[in-house]
Amino acid sequence: MKTHILEGLHMKSESMSYIDALHAIVDYQGWNKKSKAMLSGMTVTGFRFTVNRNLFEESSTAYNWMAENLLAADFIGITASQQAGFSFSATFPLYQAYAVQSMKDSIDQQRGSIIWKDQFVIVTGYDDEQQSLYYSDGNMPGLQRLSYAEFGRNDAPYWYFQVLEEQIELDEIGIYQESLMQAIYKWETHDPMLPSSEYACGRAAYEAMIVALESGVYDHVGVQRVIQDYAASKRDIGIYMSQLSRQWTELHPASLHYQYVSDNFEKMALVVQELNFENHLAVRIKSVEEELTQHLMKAAYHEELAVQALKEYMQERVVNRAQDIGLR
Amino acid sequence: MTSVYLEGVQMKRESKSFIDSLYAILTAADLFSGPKYMLSGLSGMAFKFSVHEQLWFMSVSAYGEWGTVHQPAVDNLGLFTSYDGGRNRHPTFRYYQQDAVQWIKASLDQGIGVIYWIPEFGVIHGYDDEDEIFWVQNGVNAGSQVVLYDNLGINSTPFWYVQMVGGKVEVPVEVAILEAIRMAIDDWDTDHILSNASVATGRMAYTFLIRALNLESFDEKGAVYILRSYQYSRSEIRDFLQEACLHLGGLQEALSSYDQLNEIVVPVQTYMIMQDGHRKIDRRRIPELVEILIQATALEEEAMRVFRHISSQYPDPIRSTVPRWGKHTPR
Repeated sequence: MKTHILEGLHMKSESMSYIDALHAIVDYQGWNKKSKAMLSGMTVTGFRFTVNRNLFEESSTAYNWMAENLLAADFIGITASQQAGFSFSATFPLYQAYAVQSMKDSIDQQRGSIIWKDQFVIVTGYDDEQQSLYYSDGNMPGLQRLSYAEFGRNDAPYWYFQVLEEQIELDEIGIYQESLMQAIYKWETHDPMLPSSEYACGRAAYEAMIVALESGVYDHVGVQRVIQDYAASKRDIGIYMSQLSRQWTELHPASLHYQYVSDNFEKMALVVQELNFENHLAVRIKSVEEELTQHLMKAAYHEELAVQALKEYMQERVVNRAQDIGLR
Repeated sequence: MTSVYLEGVQMKRESKSFIDSLYAILTAADLFSGPKYMLSGLSGMAFKFSVHEQLWFMSVSAYGEWGTVHQPAVDNLGLFTSYDGGRNRHPTFRYYQQDAVQWIKASLDQGIGVIYWIPEFGVIHGYDDEDEIFWVQNGVNAGSQVVLYDNLGINSTPFWYVQMVGGKVEVPVEVAILEAIRMAIDDWDTDHILSNASVATGRMAYTFLIRALNLESFDEKGAVYILRSYQYSRSEIRDFLQEACLHLGGLQEALSSYDQLNEIVVPVQTYMIMQDGHRKIDRRRIPELVEILIQATALEEEAMRVFRHISSQYPDPIRSTVPRWGKHTPR
């Protein structure tokens, strides 16, 4: 019977994504002292832009966690073990026991882990007497308790855990170049895991948001969350690109366009924050929808130009890898 | 422990190499009892049918992204499973390779062999720390090959793959059968694998096979292997359905389709000739062979109609929930 809590390991919600969790652990381990904005770009996480066509709250987390969170770590040279599944599966209890044991072992090696607890959070300790894990979710101060038996039982039927293991030295320039390759790919490609009738990705996500706002058919709670989550991503990417353009002046045009994207999302985030669907008159809602649409159109325009600029800059690589994005 | 040699693991090539491997490790560890065709059927693997447009030899194992296919296949047997793999040129490969050495040994210490891409799939059934080697069977050659710990995952293909299995829960057989036929429908309806549009699956695999035969433009060795594997798996499906009928209603008609299909495809071997010491497709008989395959497509389409009808009578939480794993572009 043992209790072990990693002192000083906390998560802070800022990037509104997996990056908040990853950064907490990477920073605590001292593997990487980069800012969240830099991690967001280097891991490609911030370049992801996927929406549910009804603008449901889940939008920014509707992606392939197994594939993309492993890659996120891989891109920065961090190795990981992870598993995921449906909590209604007959085999779930086997996985639950394995996950808890893996996370406890990880804590004993002074490393936190990442789990899905209705959002990505970090596990920072455990208490065998209480049969519980402790986690930090970035919103509530201090730690929260999650019994071993409750691990993986979430609002949606998904369970997930990721244990981060070691750091491998990678060439930093290679990481940046790879992130730009992947950014282009993300902008142009639909996530094959998601039915395209319900979800849109990259360039198409802008169009889907505009269609939803113009038709008025969308989730009123979700829209606020979607815009806030992506405002954080776009802000991170704006900062990331401006950092990179200091190193490579050729990236300056792309960086400027990403800055405009970020600015427009910031304005949208302020607009939706003020919005109250229950109390506002229809005419007021309509005008807000129009305002959001205007910002979205501007952002879409600039992001398109930003990616075109990246493609020009990366031309040779893009051509070489047109058939196989995995060639790295 | 410093060395383990699991005598009970005896792999024999009959089915797809993945199933032969899985069967060898499960039966040796008392995690599955029953004939191989039940394992192949319940895991959905018997239904997998993939064909490269040039009928390359690799077609038989190119039924999809392995992790994405094998995870639900093993899950349907009520077994815990964990795998690793990827491109062996990625910078993190060495770390994952050494990590795999540790967890493979841990599995062998528990008396459970491990599935390993040689290629094709084989089993790791022993290790020796002194020589830093694993013992590997491919199911074809008698005896075992040796793989050095440091060479694990390095092979003639650009990827590596290792999969272990662990604990077990009981899944009611009718539940597993229902899921197996749903996996069959999924495969039938998927036109080609994600990573390579030149490899067709399911219904489209027939189209690719027929086209290549008609054009007489194909890899000889691959064509023979595809047809033999195809014929074997269709016999597995029939045997599986015969037993499945006892547990899940409505399958009789599908069984009858596969009975008829087997009657026409069993002679497929006679459409091959020995030439220069190699088995080859007899080119003079290609039109007859194509005719058989056209009939087989229709019979299988009919079986899928029956599967769909059965499937629609029960809720399907797996397919009605958008997952957070599964299909992805290899990057």
